Amino acid sequence: MAQMWITMGPQHPMTHGLWTLRVKVDGETVVDTEAELGYIHRGVEKIAESRDFTQITPYCDRLCYVSAMTWANSYIYAAEDLLEVDVPERAEYIRLIAAECQRLASHLMWLGAYGPDIGSLTLMTWCMRDREMFLDLLQELGGSRMHYNYPRVGGVKRDIPVGFADRLIAKVKLFEHRIDEYEMMLDESTIWLVRLQGVGYAKAEDMVNAGVSGPNIRAAGVNYDVRWAHPYSVYDQVDWEPAVEKPTSVKGADCYDRYRVRMEEMRQSCRMILDAIEKIPGGKNTNYANGDEMILAKAPTRAPEGATGFSHYECTRGASQFYIQGGGDGRGKNPYRLSIRSPMFITIPYVAKTMIGYKVADIPAIMGSFDPCIGETDR
Amino acid sequence: MGMRITNAQADAAAEHAVASLVDRFGGSDVGATVEHHANAHKMAFTRVNVPAQHWTAVAKHLRFDLGVNYCSMVTGTHYPEGGAERGWEVVYHLMRQPVVDQAPHTNTVHVAEELAGMDVPLELEVVITLPQGETPTVPSVQNIWVGADWNEKETWDLVGIQFEGHDNMHRVLNPHDSPDGFHPLQKQHKIRYHDFNEMYDDAQGFGRKPTDEGRVK
Repeated sequence: MAQMWITMGPQHPMTHGLWTLRVKVDGETVVDTEAELGYIHRGVEKIAESRDFTQITPYCDRLCYVSAMTWANSYIYAAEDLLEVDVPERAEYIRLIAAECQRLASHLMWLGAYGPDIGSLTLMTWCMRDREMFLDLLQELGGSRMHYNYPRVGGVKRDIPVGFADRLIAKVKLFEHRIDEYEMMLDESTIWLVRLQGVGYAKAEDMVNAGVSGPNIRAAGVNYDVRWAHPYSVYDQVDWEPAVEKPTSVKGADCYDRYRVRMEEMRQSCRMILDAIEKIPGGKNTNYANGDEMILAKAPTRAPEGATGFSHYECTRGASQFYIQGGGDGRGKNPYRLSIRSPMFITIPYVAKTMIGYKVADIPAIMGSFDPCIGETDR
Repeated sequence: MGMRITNAQADAAAEHAVASLVDRFGGSDVGATVEHHANAHKMAFTRVNVPAQHWTAVAKHLRFDLGVNYCSMVTGTHYPEGGAERGWEVVYHLMRQPVVDQAPHTNTVHVAEELAGMDVPLELEVVITLPQGETPTVPSVQNIWVGADWNEKETWDLVGIQFEGHDNMHRVLNPHDSPDGFHPLQKQHKIRYHDFNEMYDDAQGFGRKPTDEGRVK
């Protein structure tokens, strides 16, 4: 049969955003693929060159609209490296709790979008219901539902409100049971298993060499996690362990392993939050005033000439990195160059190539299992 | 309790990498130093300064002798006022990750504090400084790290660094029909709304003109 190219995207349910996958098919079999990105390139790196260090945070929020808090944190650690700021421990705990709430919300968004890909429409409604709990919590911190602009160079914008801790604990404990419900529904669904198992194999070493990171690596059987390997924040003081799977084939992790590892990661995030809220210095029901030294350290606004800042951060989809070169034009108020490493920008071309040899109907299952987000990919 | 790589482990790994690089490339212009971040846990990393003509050799040494298996980020910077010797800079961020393929039904659970030698995660910053000129050129390392492929495409697309030997170079973030020689992160391209004073003086923007009017856009 003749081979032909078909174009999936930019508007296609498989893409989870705006990008194009060009697929060469031989009947139902994929024989070649090509990814095209850049549909929503906004030039954040260029814009950042004319903004000062606090003004850049909202742009970083908007890099990925389902995990704004982790992206803003990721930027802030690079700015703190550049400006040489020590952060109060209470602020680090608050950032940890906020980032893990965001990870839960982001993984729920992933599961909610992945369900309909596979044919389980119930998942969308269930996940949106539970994600709302964490968006409400994040709204209490940042003041809005999606783009919080919450971390500051040297700490956080404001302290946790009185009563936040009780609501957080109640919601997280409820959600721990909900994870069991999800698993009962999915792991006993024949459709779910048939569509996910034995599809989309990816080996650990291949993935690392190609620059894939985060849960996708842990699904392939190694507990490598930026949170312990390039430590930041107070992850060494709270109770958790990196989620890791045991892949069933020599060909590496399949879509089912990647689904399992994200479910386990949600459990670990819950465990971390429950431990951190009890250990937070200054007490969980105290509310310090804005700018108090418990939550915000004094930070310089100008970077030294020739200084650089770098952060390596476990974002919800993998390792995000920021690299800032400061001291432009002798002013130092703005970054001279700000560079963003998006995990999905590297992962999408890799995933496109792993699809070769599978059927066209497997494409949504494989692509969705890597959790693509185009906002951060195109920057 | 959570675990983490200690500062002593990171220091030892960085010092080992520096010693290995100095041993192999001592006497050439390749320089390696141990640096420390100023944020969070003040972790150590290795900064390597490489002239462009030695970059392929250094990259092979990093990959095959030091086990650096992960190319995470490539950053290009334009310094139009940096002097004759420093017109452009390319920074590669590389990592070593203790990740190996697994036999079926097994996994590797590292305990951070017990890692030693080549298993300790390592972070490298490779800085390549290029002289002024229209065509800054660096050898591509796409064949050594697959992850460098799209990073280098992006760096060419946005900054205009040429990667010699790169297979299949094309636009990734800019439109495919962008004019030749248009690389928006070069410093001659200014963004339009530049300063807040401008915004207040002319809030509607009627009197405003792009500062790079008349140039390639």
